[in-house]
Amino acid sequence: MDDWKPSPLIKPFGARKKRSWYLTWKYKLTNQRALRRFCQTGAVLFLLVTVIVNIKLILDTRRAISEASEDPEPEKDYDEALGRLESPRHRGSGPRRVLDVEVYSSRSKVYVAVDGTTVLEDEAREQGRGIHVIVLNQATGHVMAKRVFDTYSPHEDEAMVLFLNMVAPGRVLICTVKDEGSFHLKDTAKALLRSLGSQAGPALGWRDTWAFVGRKGGPVLGEKHSKSPALSSWGDPVLLKTDVPLSSAEEAECHWADTELNRRRHRFCSKVEGYGSVCSCKDPTPIEFSPDPLPDNKVFNVPVAVIAGNRPNYLYRMLRSLLSAQGVSPQMITVFIDGYYEEPMDVVALFGLRGIQHTPISIKNARVSQHYKASLTATFNLFPEARFAVVLEEDLDIAVDFFSFLSQSIHLLEEDDSLYCISAWNDQGYEHTAEDPALLYRVETMPGLGWVLRKSLYKEELEPKWPTPEKLWDWDMWMRMPEQRRGRECIIPDISRSYHFGIVGLNMNGYFHEAYFKKHKFNTVPGVQLRNVDSLKKEAYEVEVHRLLSEAEVLDHSKNPCEDSFLPDTEGHTYVAFIRMEKDDDFTTWTRLAKCLHIWDLDVRGNHRGLWRLFRKRNHFLVVGVPASPYSMKKPPSITPIFLEPPPKEEGAPGAAEQT
Amino acid sequence: MSRINKNVILALLTLTSSAFLLFQLYYYKHYLSAKNGAGLSKSKGSRIGFDGTQWRTVKKFIMLTSSQNVPVFLIDPLILELINKNFEQVKNASHGSASECKFFCVPRDFTAFALQYHLWKNEESWFRIAENTGFQCLKFESKDPRLDGIDSLSGTEIPLHYICTLASHAVHLVVFHERSGNYLWHGHLRLKGHIDRKFVPFRKLKFGRYPGAFDRPELQQVTIDGLEVLIPKDPMHFLEEIPHSRFIECRYKEARAFFQQYLDDNTVEAMAFRKSAKELLQLAAKTLKKLGVRFWLSSGTCLGWYRQCGIIPYSKDVDLGIFIQDYKSDIISAFQDAGLPLKHKFGKVEDSLELSFQGKDDVKLDIFFFYEETDYMWNGGTQAKTGKKFKYLFPKFTLCWTEFVDMKVRVPCETIEYIEANYGKTWKVPVRTWDWKRSPHNVQPNGVWPISEWDEVIQLY
Repeated sequence: MDDWKPSPLIKPFGARKKRSWYLTWKYKLTNQRALRRFCQTGAVLFLLVTVIVNIKLILDTRRAISEASEDPEPEKDYDEALGRLESPRHRGSGPRRVLDVEVYSSRSKVYVAVDGTTVLEDEAREQGRGIHVIVLNQATGHVMAKRVFDTYSPHEDEAMVLFLNMVAPGRVLICTVKDEGSFHLKDTAKALLRSLGSQAGPALGWRDTWAFVGRKGGPVLGEKHSKSPALSSWGDPVLLKTDVPLSSAEEAECHWADTELNRRRHRFCSKVEGYGSVCSCKDPTPIEFSPDPLPDNKVFNVPVAVIAGNRPNYLYRMLRSLLSAQGVSPQMITVFIDGYYEEPMDVVALFGLRGIQHTPISIKNARVSQHYKASLTATFNLFPEARFAVVLEEDLDIAVDFFSFLSQSIHLLEEDDSLYCISAWNDQGYEHTAEDPALLYRVETMPGLGWVLRKSLYKEELEPKWPTPEKLWDWDMWMRMPEQRRGRECIIPDISRSYHFGIVGLNMNGYFHEAYFKKHKFNTVPGVQLRNVDSLKKEAYEVEVHRLLSEAEVLDHSKNPCEDSFLPDTEGHTYVAFIRMEKDDDFTTWTRLAKCLHIWDLDVRGNHRGLWRLFRKRNHFLVVGVPASPYSMKKPPSITPIFLEPPPKEEGAPGAAEQT
Repeated sequence: MSRINKNVILALLTLTSSAFLLFQLYYYKHYLSAKNGAGLSKSKGSRIGFDGTQWRTVKKFIMLTSSQNVPVFLIDPLILELINKNFEQVKNASHGSASECKFFCVPRDFTAFALQYHLWKNEESWFRIAENTGFQCLKFESKDPRLDGIDSLSGTEIPLHYICTLASHAVHLVVFHERSGNYLWHGHLRLKGHIDRKFVPFRKLKFGRYPGAFDRPELQQVTIDGLEVLIPKDPMHFLEEIPHSRFIECRYKEARAFFQQYLDDNTVEAMAFRKSAKELLQLAAKTLKKLGVRFWLSSGTCLGWYRQCGIIPYSKDVDLGIFIQDYKSDIISAFQDAGLPLKHKFGKVEDSLELSFQGKDDVKLDIFFFYEETDYMWNGGTQAKTGKKFKYLFPKFTLCWTEFVDMKVRVPCETIEYIEANYGKTWKVPVRTWDWKRSPHNVQPNGVWPISEWDEVIQLY
């Protein structure tokens, strides 16, 4: 810019010259004068041209600059786009070599500011308790991860250890405590904090405040701590102000071979943190999986909709397992993210998949339900030729034979109108109640958690009357209602082909997960050949059930069904027990039985006309509800159905049991 | 003293300014060449090496796409035209027997190919590989219109067009996307601010001026000028589609605003009506397509599309328009065969023809025939009781494709004029009671049928 600054000064000179030239012209015209006149004219011309060129240059440059700034996504040069992404956006121009970081910790409020920009602020009541951790890129100062670990509660410190271990060395770590962060901060976590160089972290006490800034594996850059004076009060608020020297971009990045995959990896790893070995410089974990193709894959062209929220780590785990499943076709996968969250989108981009964001329009459960609707509609719009869609959620592991399972069973959905869905999840398939990977059931309840939806069902029945936002309904509860299900059934496997690992969610907490999901059985055997798939059709299944009941041995009904000895210690037998079930909706005894068997008892799942099928001690165990079930006729007259008293009303388990 | 001073100053000034100027000239040149050096060098070479440049570029492009499994087929109107003329010869030609270059060497600016996006797997790497093989490519992206109809979704952008040049010839790769209604859609090629407008003569492109819709063509492999390419199995049909392929999207945003104001009717009856109206429309479309008769959404059905991207639940019937030139005598029997008996027939082919068929669940299908005058179009109406004739005037219009209830159907391109002629400026406000003789804005009395003709022009069943 300095180059053309003199030009405005030139003009007055030019004007003066003009006058003197005029004077000379007017008075004398000697040879010498003529020469001088020539020089003067030349000079003036030069000056004029200079001015013009200057102005043109200024205009041109300005236009070029404004064009560049107007255009956030350059079409042509990906590398250029890449470079731009990584440069710090919120900070001013010019290479800043030092970040000034402020960290505040107190009972009711925490905040972190980097170069005056607040990157974390939490003063909500009854929320955000525990240790807040922020990871900054050491070269750019970008926030790469933001987590809060409620170390007042059990197991959260384990998650924190896991997370901190995954952070790459050299990153800037910021920790600050809100309210209480020490109650369940165990020794492993304290040792880790010590290894980061923290003095106060390992000694963190009840209701202490603490702020910490340090480099992973490097020096501590600042720490402040205030002890709580008494059990009933909190430590004084602390404000830590410190300078964080930035390192060069070279150091902060890995040098992977220049491939399309690594370009994706690079983009991802320079933005977010906390995904462990995927960003490891030396030996990064692959992001492309080449599972064996599935011979005769009937679901290769079935679109897969992954419904996600803002749980990017879950999504990462889920997509890894999905992309590793045999017969997966990545171009059929679409991830629908509920909200404008960047990090889940980054995860989607890492795996080179299609991601779609959905702006929130209503609250809580209804929002999930609207998100489902938008996602399903979009799926069938994007794949207009599809007759089915696979619906998955972000907190599921997908079995290696998930697509093989669907490929072998999907024709049922086409041939049998009495089917509502095919689901990969068996509500009653726990470690101790599921045994046979080749076995399928028909059930009257819709399990969700990895299922196949028929387009005609969605377009003709569900979509037009999908609950509107103000209804505040859970989509899956709504789908289970008799008005929607209309007596149709779902096909499920005995051993689930999905595993629900999410412990944070709308209707989910650690206790709930441990009680109902942790012990769920999950198939890990590839290429299982399903047995007798066509016997799952409406009529054939009745024949099958009657055959089973006819050959089943009737158990000793005088024993307590909750006792382990209720079933003999055999293997491979089929047993039947009859329980009392007065009407179609009388599940009193069943619910008690389910509770003592330690299976899903929050509502009734997995029944087929008053019959439940599961495994006990490697024996097929049938339970028939008498007299409501049409299979009651198989009951020998001498047997009195088992009756279990309903439990006295107590504090009980969570009311609305739901699995999303 | 002052004069010497002046001279010195002058000399100094001259010197500095010339040094300055030289520097600037150098800088400016540098800047210019950095900016569009590529573009300049290309436009220079455009007339050189005419013989076979096109062929070589196309060959390289086909090699590239087949090695990268890019699912493309030829849609260039110029070449398809030639192929169509020599179809027998092309079909019988075997590999490499091309003695002369008859198709791909024809002088032209572009060769257009279509890309079937849903079959494409390695989108990511393709662009880079194309550039490595010497192509210079521009990519045009936009948001996905298939997500527009759904509230508040925003996805990754989809590619709409690629233009790749090599040695002064350009390949225009039109990305065809699958849409609901069993058709292929391509987007509008929009030149955004930063795109080098001299990259290729964009005005001469055959596709992309408007979005377009095409029937999903069956493809066949042929060898043309020694190159193996996929072409539509029926090139004639594809060529005929091109001039009428313009597609307009429903105004989803406005439709959402409409429903915010007036709320959608989700009663059981409304849903039942929408379902049967949709089925009736599908049946009518199928029947007319079989006959090869063009039709468009008219009256209430058209208003429903334009205003709310759906069927107006209280409209009671489905309305279609057909140009009288397209009238075929077997329309009535075809509909009857499809299970839609004739309900009434008013007018005659020469004047005010109108057909009404009875669909299921009391939904009626009305077909109005449109007559063209020098500066307007009109269709007629007849009152059965009195034999009175009515005339509904419309400004002239052309036909465009759109998507409506999962179908590809035609609507007047000049939709707003069409609707305002029919419903006036207040078409945005729902009106539940409608008198076809009085309510329309464009209705005119048109005399009375002579009683001698009544038997012919008023037929009720």
